[in-house]
Amino acid sequence: MDLLAQILINGILLGGLYAVMALGLALVWGVLNIVNLAHGAFIMLGGYLSWHLYTYLGIDPFLGLPITAVVMFGLGYCLQRGVLNLIVRAPMFNTLLITFGLEVVLTYLAQMAFSADFRTINPSYAGSNIALGPVVIPMARLMAFGVAVVLTVGMWLFLLHSRLGRAIRATAQNLVAARLYGVEPRHLYAMTFGIGIGLAGAAGGLYGTVSQIDPYIGATLTAKSFAIAIIGGLDNPLGVLVGGLVLGIIESLTVLYIGATFGDVASFGVLVLVLIVRPSGLLGKTA
Amino acid sequence: MKALVSILLVVAVAVLAAVPWFGSDVLVQFGINALLLAVLAQGWNIIGGYTGYASFGNSVFYGLGSYGVAIAMVQWELPFAVGMIFGVVLAVAFAFLLGLPVLRLKGHYFAIATLALAQVMIAIVSNIGIAGQNIGLVLPPLNNDPLFYELSLILLVAATATVFWLTRIRFGFGLIAIRENEEGAAVMGVNTTLYKVLAFALSGVFSALAGGIHAYWITFLDPASAFDISLNVKMIIMAVFGGPGTVLGPVLGAFVLSGVSEVLSSEVTSAAGLFFGLVVVVAVIFMPRGLADLMRRFRTSGWRYFAENLRAHRI
Repeated sequence: MDLLAQILINGILLGGLYAVMALGLALVWGVLNIVNLAHGAFIMLGGYLSWHLYTYLGIDPFLGLPITAVVMFGLGYCLQRGVLNLIVRAPMFNTLLITFGLEVVLTYLAQMAFSADFRTINPSYAGSNIALGPVVIPMARLMAFGVAVVLTVGMWLFLLHSRLGRAIRATAQNLVAARLYGVEPRHLYAMTFGIGIGLAGAAGGLYGTVSQIDPYIGATLTAKSFAIAIIGGLDNPLGVLVGGLVLGIIESLTVLYIGATFGDVASFGVLVLVLIVRPSGLLGKTA
Repeated sequence: MKALVSILLVVAVAVLAAVPWFGSDVLVQFGINALLLAVLAQGWNIIGGYTGYASFGNSVFYGLGSYGVAIAMVQWELPFAVGMIFGVVLAVAFAFLLGLPVLRLKGHYFAIATLALAQVMIAIVSNIGIAGQNIGLVLPPLNNDPLFYELSLILLVAATATVFWLTRIRFGFGLIAIRENEEGAAVMGVNTTLYKVLAFALSGVFSALAGGIHAYWITFLDPASAFDISLNVKMIIMAVFGGPGTVLGPVLGAFVLSGVSEVLSSEVTSAAGLFFGLVVVVAVIFMPRGLADLMRRFRTSGWRYFAENLRAHRI
């Protein structure tokens, strides 16, 4: 029983992090109708950025998150403005391919620049735990979870209430109408993609504190983000949070009861099952 | 014009078939790889190019074909040909079992579901005893590169002939109709589910045969290399670069990209991968319908061809 409680806690803490990973993917998918297969690669880049900030400049990974997010936002904005805006109206398959090409490019660049070694961000409090009765909560994971929830709820409020958030939602609903009301689509698309990549960067920084980063983590993280976006739906960050928690708990349970190698099988199995049973997602609407 | 094209094709195949007699060992080995990749691209062309279902999971068929040959030859000590048939049976069974639910999905959903399946296969095969778990299997060596080369060439010719035949028969028209408008095709009496599953299976048959030849040639396979996800990327990029939904485009794309990547990787090792990524990005922007379309339309439009593509899809 204690073990089960511990596994559930681990799953929930992991799930919060998963939610932030998926948040940017869901946003870009919902608004631009691009499934960004390079999303995981941007998470990886964010992780490396945080690692460098911590290792060479001594900036705490959690305090460094805004820097990582802003730099990644800039990268995303420029990429959308300079490259992806050129194909945003192309058929679905071409947008998939171009982001796949980006993922390959980013992975190889990362391999050349950072080598294939594992990196972990290890601040002084990385090893400390909070004991809650029989259950142990690792400090870094709890902090990552806290940031993840704040980011998700913040994103939800931003989309609901800010001027830019409304413009983004309007564009997602109807591009022509949004244009008539003065939305500049090139800029707005770039802002949306930038925010998505900024979130991916922040997720990468968090990921680096709880797990290992290497140039090849991108593809798996993209697939997981996609699974979460499918479960949670594209129109509401809170749905994505639920999706992340569901996947985190399922994965933790699988690793305990079936075997460590089946963790990924479980998440992709869930993805395929959800797609087959309810192609429109479990919660809310999807594209 | 038609006669000229067919004569050229026959000459090209004859020259390719003669390569083991005048080419070096390195050239023959490169040739086997390029031919097998061309088979994969052509196999993908059936489901991705003609039917319009962007499968990111064809590597599963390739892996099943490899393991079919390996299990038959190592565990049951059967001849290579039986192993090839076993691999094809596995691939067709997979196409029917998983194709039925997965082919109901459309667009992004289908692409990612197949990608997820491809990822899951590595973990599943790693836990199967008869497949050697995650250690893999070692096949009896057969040191005869020219034989593997000719087998690969025959397979590629067979795959291309099949695709050509598809463009002439009712079944092929049905697939194109599904790609253009699935509801419309269903209304016109096309049994879309059956057609899609058959296209998926047919594409799987060729991929599995390519995997079988590759396994016997390399004589060693483990789950990670047999079900290598990046193989999907390669075959799709080659097919799309050459021209999806055309008979010769995928073969052309496979040869051109294999050649360039071979030259690059002999210079700088990691440059080949980077190059693949960049080619995809540039190709999607400037020639989204591939080399075949470029060659057809470049004569009339000239350099404006690229600008026209750019204008069509940007915002």
